[in-house]
Amino acid sequence: MNDLDDLFALARAEEPSPALLARILADAEAVQAKPAPRRSRWRFLSVLLAGAGAFGGMATAALAGVWIGMAEPAPLAAVTEAFLPDTVDLIPTYEFLAEE
Amino acid sequence: MTMPLDTLADVTDEALLILYANGDGAAARSLTLRLTPRVLAYAARMLGDRAEAEDIAQEAMLRLWRIAADWRQGEAKVSTWLYRVAANLCTDRLRRRRGVALDDAPEPEDGAPSVLHGMVDADRMRALDAALAALPERQRQAVVLRHIEGMTNPDIAEIMEIGVEAVESLTARGKRALAAALSGKRAALGYEDV
Repeated sequence: MNDLDDLFALARAEEPSPALLARILADAEAVQAKPAPRRSRWRFLSVLLAGAGAFGGMATAALAGVWIGMAEPAPLAAVTEAFLPDTVDLIPTYEFLAEE
Repeated sequence: MTMPLDTLADVTDEALLILYANGDGAAARSLTLRLTPRVLAYAARMLGDRAEAEDIAQEAMLRLWRIAADWRQGEAKVSTWLYRVAANLCTDRLRRRRGVALDDAPEPEDGAPSVLHGMVDADRMRALDAALAALPERQRQAVVLRHIEGMTNPDIAEIMEIGVEAVESLTARGKRALAAALSGKRAALGYEDV
């Protein structure tokens, strides 16, 4: 429909008023003039470590380490006692190779 | 108004935004001249009200200035981002208006002859705005972005957060409804055959 296409073209030709352009430019300058927000040490670290998620992971790992260190490894001791003889040569020597 | 030449015409919107964030005043001017007419035309057609459209254009541009320092390069086109902001602002306005009857919406009439011939431009724009106002909001948005802003269907799909096929369907239905609505405007505007 040609009439409709003509109308669309007319609508495209709409120009902003000088007053509007001036207001928008004034906004641009006002935002530009604002000093950049001061980046705190915490923000710097969090950016460095890719956000708070990394902190969460590190905290969990640290706590797990402490817990494993403090807790008595009783279950493991039970397993080794049950399956291994009293003395176990964990680092075998190879002296037998030298024997003729 | 005589529009000053955009001396940074070859520079992309995104590069201008980065320049702006780094304190370049000419970039702000170029972006303003380049983007304001587009976002204003969009808002004017969505709202049918020039003063409200100017508010939307200013607010959308203000949000662009504010995001400039944190703009993530390569993630979205600046124009697409801006249209989406403007679209959301328009939707908010229209929602606030809802409840106000749209009785001035034109009733489609069949069989009217070439309707807009002879109307003065202002009347023709009023006719277009009234016909657009009668469309469902999503159809209006798709028609304006496609036929007035000249955007591609994939870009419109991104702005409206729908699929390309849905955009095609909305623009086709919207344009048909618009043509039908405008076919009844000649009599309404007093352009009976003389």
